[in-house]
Amino acid sequence: MTTATECPQALACEPIRRAESVMGTVASFDIRPGPVPPGLVYLALAEARARLHRADAVFSLWKTQSPMSRLRRGEIRLEDAPVELSEVLRQCEAARAASHGWFDPWAMPGGVDPTGLVKGWAAQQALDVLQLAGVPAAMVNAGGDVAVSGQPEPGRPWRIGVRDPWHAKRVIAVVSTSGAIATSGTYERGEHLLDPHTGRPSSPIASATVTGPDLGLADALATGVAAAGEAGLDWFGDLDGYEVLIVRHDGSRRRTPGFPSAA
Amino acid sequence: MKRAPIVITSTAAGLALVLSFHTSPPSSGVKTATGDTNGGKSRHPTASTSTTTGSTSATTGSTSTTTEPTGTDSARTATGSDIQYRYGDIQLEVTASGSKITDISIVKDGSDDGHSFQINSQAVPILQSESLSAQSAQIDGVSGATYTSAAYVQSLQSALDKLGIQ
Repeated sequence: MTTATECPQALACEPIRRAESVMGTVASFDIRPGPVPPGLVYLALAEARARLHRADAVFSLWKTQSPMSRLRRGEIRLEDAPVELSEVLRQCEAARAASHGWFDPWAMPGGVDPTGLVKGWAAQQALDVLQLAGVPAAMVNAGGDVAVSGQPEPGRPWRIGVRDPWHAKRVIAVVSTSGAIATSGTYERGEHLLDPHTGRPSSPIASATVTGPDLGLADALATGVAAAGEAGLDWFGDLDGYEVLIVRHDGSRRRTPGFPSAA
Repeated sequence: MKRAPIVITSTAAGLALVLSFHTSPPSSGVKTATGDTNGGKSRHPTASTSTTTGSTSATTGSTSTTTEPTGTDSARTATGSDIQYRYGDIQLEVTASGSKITDISIVKDGSDDGHSFQINSQAVPILQSESLSAQSAQIDGVSGATYTSAAYVQSLQSALDKLGIQ
């Protein structure tokens, strides 16, 4: 409920936060509208939320009638499916190559499963919508996969904590980022990391956190590194703009040189 | 190497969960709103600045009680709906000062098998700390945050709605 206040500009100064229950998790928005008129911001927010729900409707494997589920059962062909499907599968191919086969939706039991990339991809889409509307700074966090743009306050970058794999309430690092950050680990409930080469569970490390320009790819790479372990560090030399932080089971860490830790 | 230094150790996460408070603190004053399940009788004449953290299952189905303004800077409490989910049900209480959330507690965390307890005991603290520290300046969000319960958010959202934090 909004009431008229003495200072209409107040709207522009205050962050807008919104949580959305979607994709089996919670996606939250933190928007810094700056000079963008509230009407436009809310319109963009509505569209951003709709993108998340649409991604859920199209890709959910829990929904038996989703286009992704139907494609897996061979009931529809890719050409007849919503365009997002081809787009996401193309990105999955790129992620599979970038991860040297460690992120491989085609090696999942039960048929092609792009889940490891979809959440990040959808959150990135949502953020892109806000950017298109001219919002100077925003964060979309889809269950721990985070995409940001701009700066929450002048001169200060977004500061994102990396969850401690052993203590849910703690963070083990803080990252200053201007792009995306995704973390994958075996601590997540329901997360089954499989070695795509053997089809067996794999958890060589406690967690992997990837930063980079695009959340879809970061999400997929984090999943790949979490399954591959430290060998994953080697992929990043060829990946422009992407960095990784690995936490070993003994709590020690390794990171690529450019990993953006905050001061 | 041991788990080392870094920046912030025990600080909570900050997922910016929940909350859609964009501005305008709703009218100041003390305001309490309580759950909207199936219209029972209990009342919560809360008018305090902080909320208690009950984890019992005392508060289902209560009617709305709204105590309107008295005073200046508002500490207001609202209890969210009792939401059923896969492993039980959950009900939250939110305390806000102006449009700022100052506390979130669980008034009902109804699950009786071990499984649910395990999930709740993990999920709830994460969510609580995320919600609260979303407002702290130190961290804007958390990566890898995770198991997040939709039920928690629904209950929380309904409490926020009652507080007029929107």
